[in-house]
Amino acid sequence: MKRRLSAGNYLVLLCAFAFFVVPMIAAIEFSLRGDQGTTHGLSNYRWILAQEGFGANLFTSARLAAITAILVLLLMVPTIVYLHLGGARWKRIIEFICLVPLVVPVISYAMGVATAMPIFLQSTVYELSFLYVIVTMPYTYRALDVGLSSIPLLTLVEASKSAGATMRQTLVLVVMPSIRSAINGAIFLSVALALGEFTLAVLLHWDTFPTWINNVAQSNVLGAVSLSVFSLVGAWLVVLVVAVGPKSKHSDQNQEA
Amino acid sequence: MSHVVAERTNALNKGAGPLSYIRRGGALVSLLPLIPFLAFIGYFLAFPLAFIVRDSFLDNDKHFTLHNFALCFQGVYGHSFLVSVRLSVISAFIGAVAGAFIAHSIMRTGQRTRRAVAATSSVLANTGGVPLAFMFIASFGAQGLVTKLLKFLGWDLYGGSFTLFSAAGVTFVYCFFQIPLMVLIFSPALENMKPEWREASDSLGGTPFTYFRRIAIPVLFPAFLSTSLLLFANAFSAYATARAMTSGTLPLMPLLIGNLVDGNVIANEKHLGHALAVCMIGVSVIVMTIYALVLRYSKVKK
Repeated sequence: MKRRLSAGNYLVLLCAFAFFVVPMIAAIEFSLRGDQGTTHGLSNYRWILAQEGFGANLFTSARLAAITAILVLLLMVPTIVYLHLGGARWKRIIEFICLVPLVVPVISYAMGVATAMPIFLQSTVYELSFLYVIVTMPYTYRALDVGLSSIPLLTLVEASKSAGATMRQTLVLVVMPSIRSAINGAIFLSVALALGEFTLAVLLHWDTFPTWINNVAQSNVLGAVSLSVFSLVGAWLVVLVVAVGPKSKHSDQNQEA
Repeated sequence: MSHVVAERTNALNKGAGPLSYIRRGGALVSLLPLIPFLAFIGYFLAFPLAFIVRDSFLDNDKHFTLHNFALCFQGVYGHSFLVSVRLSVISAFIGAVAGAFIAHSIMRTGQRTRRAVAATSSVLANTGGVPLAFMFIASFGAQGLVTKLLKFLGWDLYGGSFTLFSAAGVTFVYCFFQIPLMVLIFSPALENMKPEWREASDSLGGTPFTYFRRIAIPVLFPAFLSTSLLLFANAFSAYATARAMTSGTLPLMPLLIGNLVDGNVIANEKHLGHALAVCMIGVSVIVMTIYALVLRYSKVKK
């Protein structure tokens, strides 16, 4: 299948490479600058670690990510399994509902949440996790739906039931292990969103890692750039290792999701 | 309609398979296991949306009015609407064309390269936001390496009226996540192009241009158009990058709504923000409906 690249292809790829990689390299160079812009070193990165709020806000985002992932699994897995079994007649409607967050701009959603949600919810940072479940729903639904479509679900459930398992045992011990890569994909998507989400967090006045970066920028642009490079290049390297690494089957699932 | 449902329920009940215990009892009973999901959606999605739609039709004394929507298209709000649409159209166009070329060129490289590009694209398309803004400030700002490099090559970026914090600058930065998104979504369509089509065209005496005009464009056009619409919607609702870059000063719809959510409510127009938010949803719904129609049309043709 591999065809040879023409000169035009090389030119396009070279331009693309320049467009995407040069700003990254420039940002890395910028983040390594010293105080007067004459020396280079890791001083900005040391400055980040010394800032109060770095650990606390990263920890807040991590907790939000964990809760989001758990909520996604608790809510979506039983629902979508049911849609593949007895509730098949509702599948198209639920599928449509799950696509709605894709159509509603997050900014409009933030407006709605800020005005409609009661005080008791708006007074805890964990409200964001519930909102993130909604925002990731189009992607997590698809990931899990694709996973469940690729296994003989009915046969598995029947076998498990005839062996005397309860519905809960079937779900946890039979179904979930057999769609593990789809579940990993859904977790990956929701964690990635929860760690990077900015709009809802800043408009509902919560301090998370991304909003903290934005606040840091007010006092120290060098620090903010270093933080940005840290988070963007970090995320990129992680995904690259997962995708190009030896476990290719698993990563295909992720990309498709 | 209820007749059809009843008939289906009967059919399901008669075919009493091993899982008939789930199906017993008709449509309403089969809805029961979906209650947690529907309750979650109802409370966290439908309720807030219904709330702002209702409020957008109310004046300060809670009477019905269309005045809020009239305001949306006047003055600074009307202007920001136009700027937003223009920025989204331009960045979607650049993203779609450049992304299509890149996707086409990547098709011919090895599998590992393709996978690396797909992974990179998904990071850039999804985790952009705030880090992206600061990366560009670092490289294209007045002290940035790229600016210095261009100056060294004889092109003073800041000699004219260009700044990164204008609509043009933001458009440029948006391309950084629009192009990867295009590559990500458009590549599968390209992979479905069969090499036999090219061979058939060649053996019938077609030039590469014939192939391009008579086969590639008609086959790929629906995918290209629908992805462009997605890019438009993506740019139109983007908030984080623009906010971090301009601290909310550029007249863009999302930024104005953000200012209103943030608490800078104009006292005599309490529900203006709701109307603006509903307008954004309206534009998005229109674009996504066309997107769905294009996809359906292209499927029917196959």
